[in-house]
Amino acid sequence: MPDLQNPFQETLIQRHRAESCTIVIFGATGDLTHRKLIPALYNLAAAGDLPPQAKVIGFARRDKTDEVFRNELAEANKKFSRSGSNEELWSRFAQSVFYHKSEFQDPAGYEALKKKLDDFDKERGAPANRLFYLATAPDAFAVVLEQLRAAGLNKAPEGKWARVVCEKPSGTDLATAQKLNQQVDQVFAERDTYRIDHYLGKETAQNIMVLRFANLMFEPLWNSRFIEQVQITCAENLGMEGGRGGYYDTSGALRDMVQSHLFQLLSLVAMEPPTDLGADPVRDEKVKVIRSLRKWRGLKEVSENVIRAQYTAGSVDGVDRVGYRQEDRVNPKSMTEAYVALRLYVNTWRWQGVPFYIRMGKQLPKKATEISVHFKHAPQAPFPTAQQRGTRNVMVIRIQPDEGISLRMLSKLPGMQLLMQPVKMDFRYSTSFGKASSEAYERLLLDAMSGDATLFARRDEVESSWAFIDEIEHAWHAEGEQPPMCEYPAGSWGPKEADEMLKRDGHVWRRM
Amino acid sequence: MSTESESAYAILGQEVPLGSVDKALKELWGQDDARTKASLLNFAIYSEKAESMEENTRLLEEITLEQACRGLLILAVPGEKRSARAWITAHCQLQDGHKSVCSEQVSFLLEQGNANQVRNVVFAHLDSDLPLACWWQDNLTSNFDERLYSVIDVLFIDSSKWSNPSADFTTLLNALSHDSVRFAVYDLSWLRSHLFRTALAACFQDVVALAELPKLNRIEIYYSKGNRLSALLLVAWIGVRMKCGLDMAGKDIRLQSPEGILINVSLVETTGAEHLQKIILRSKAATFTVTRECGAHYVCSRVEIGDHIYEEMLPADSVSDVALIVDQLSRMGGQSLYFQMVPMLQKMIG
Repeated sequence: MPDLQNPFQETLIQRHRAESCTIVIFGATGDLTHRKLIPALYNLAAAGDLPPQAKVIGFARRDKTDEVFRNELAEANKKFSRSGSNEELWSRFAQSVFYHKSEFQDPAGYEALKKKLDDFDKERGAPANRLFYLATAPDAFAVVLEQLRAAGLNKAPEGKWARVVCEKPSGTDLATAQKLNQQVDQVFAERDTYRIDHYLGKETAQNIMVLRFANLMFEPLWNSRFIEQVQITCAENLGMEGGRGGYYDTSGALRDMVQSHLFQLLSLVAMEPPTDLGADPVRDEKVKVIRSLRKWRGLKEVSENVIRAQYTAGSVDGVDRVGYRQEDRVNPKSMTEAYVALRLYVNTWRWQGVPFYIRMGKQLPKKATEISVHFKHAPQAPFPTAQQRGTRNVMVIRIQPDEGISLRMLSKLPGMQLLMQPVKMDFRYSTSFGKASSEAYERLLLDAMSGDATLFARRDEVESSWAFIDEIEHAWHAEGEQPPMCEYPAGSWGPKEADEMLKRDGHVWRRM
Repeated sequence: MSTESESAYAILGQEVPLGSVDKALKELWGQDDARTKASLLNFAIYSEKAESMEENTRLLEEITLEQACRGLLILAVPGEKRSARAWITAHCQLQDGHKSVCSEQVSFLLEQGNANQVRNVVFAHLDSDLPLACWWQDNLTSNFDERLYSVIDVLFIDSSKWSNPSADFTTLLNALSHDSVRFAVYDLSWLRSHLFRTALAACFQDVVALAELPKLNRIEIYYSKGNRLSALLLVAWIGVRMKCGLDMAGKDIRLQSPEGILINVSLVETTGAEHLQKIILRSKAATFTVTRECGAHYVCSRVEIGDHIYEEMLPADSVSDVALIVDQLSRMGGQSLYFQMVPMLQKMIG
């Protein structure tokens, strides 16, 4: 499909402006639309990045007028927009937002939607692209997709595109992920399918590739010869607030976070350099990491390399917290993990023998996501004693909060003796760059409209990661003996079993 | 130097001997553990206007809010005898509620300062391994010398303030022809229209509007006093992007499109704080307008093609030079388009 040859546009290289499109959000009355999608679209409009004559249609079953829908979104935008809400700008933006009432399974609703889209095109004077955003629960995907296909909405007008954006989770195991992917594939080609993982939209996650591949000095060291271990931690200091227990208890830490976000971070850290920054070259390298993971199978391997746990009563930030099984809407006999720690190995020449420790937990002492790369000790000479050799170099990539990168190195202490002290070289986004980063969803929506799928998960990435996760889940829920469910007090850094897993390798969790 | 001038220098901080600047800076940081020195680049402001130091200190302070840097203010003025004076100070911002992040400022007053002295001052006091951005205020005088600009990585100029733009463009182009030169040039006159141009580009971001582009026959640009050069740069941009030739009929400016259509250009000085107020492109069947008449922070675009009217509200360029500079330092980016326009611009200036 040829790009629009706007001679004025091509000079403005910093702006990634897509062509005109209509965005249809299925599940428009839901939380995601109000908290993330509309504020993201508003901020794109405020920055001048929204395609010209873009329109948004909220598709949902509740009875509302356009006006009521816009007013509700106005309130949400005031609360959740990162740049606040300018009345005049919102007023103009809201004029391009519409509500379409229909049941997901009602063919007439989709015919009416089609007419609406065609009317918008007539108003514009030319056809526009179409982006269908599935912000519903995954069990509604199949019916929405089938109805889009039946109404011919998956086929764009001549010279234009029709794309689908699917929110996570992309399935709950390999079988459901494959089924979901097949359902999508029957309606939209893979190149027109965008699977959201909002971690990839974060500035600091994108910076991992820049750090590794734009700086010559790191790549020669980025392998098993120089790196001792890698840790990836996603810590949350909340529990099941807001009634999340009901959903979370059907999922758990492994499926909710590890399969998606943490595996994405792992891929970015462990991947080979791509041939270029196109979507497929990058994703080709990422999926190789997942495929190269040594699988843990059966009770013994899973018990030794995966620790699952639930928090018990404790205190976080000085506030008393109940245990997981006492949370609202959580089964008192639940066997769902609120914490998981894994030891992984990436079986490639680059990473042979290097453990990757990944952990994710609720009700930990603070909210933070980081990657720490721990280098090996310097050779013995010329610092023969353990004290002189001191601690290892560690590079820390802070994904959130306090985004930035730090490097721990050793420096001599002033004085007559040769004593060493670790010091930190620190780069912080907040003090280095005054310009505020856009929210992840702003970047991802813009990329979906512009046709850049680099920051979206590909079908094989999703299925490969589920294949790995499934082996662990099978062991956890097998008949007969199962790996234990450990415990940790809320406000601590997790179960002692997770500490012992690292201790057996001579490692410890980095103090955050 | 008069008492009035001396009181103006109070804002520059602590006066130190020229040879002791680094030592004095070290002592400054050693005194207070609560402060963190931050520096991502060297940022120099060069001026030959005697009364500029106070204002430039304020400008530098604003810049450090967004860009941690070592600031160098250089004032080169005529004097009865040759002398050099230096001051140090810091601009600190709170971070996380308590810790201060500070950027240094070193100010130099060079009386009878020539190119050598300016260069030596700059060379001796750069924060090593960091790039040097230089905001050269006013004309490119003889102090804009090869041995100085060969160490500059980013040069900010403002061609709308040049008393002889034609001569200064020639100086700039000659400088860029040297092998030793590596600086990127950002002209504030050009940067002031970045989002204005973005809004104009957005008007043509669909096939129907784009079809009208080859049929344009009139361009009207409204600019505020002192900003004719920004308007001319906009004309040059349109001309270059549309692959037009310049057709000057006396003082009247016309562009000739590849299709042979003559596009009349009208430049109108008007009132208003914003440098560029409005641009209108017309063809027989369509009008494309971008205007600042919708609030301080926005531009409004309007596309009228027959009965089809479409309006948008988009972010507007700041009127603050500091905001433009800080924004550009965050974006960087190429400059080849700017230099494609300069030949057409020079013909329009005459």
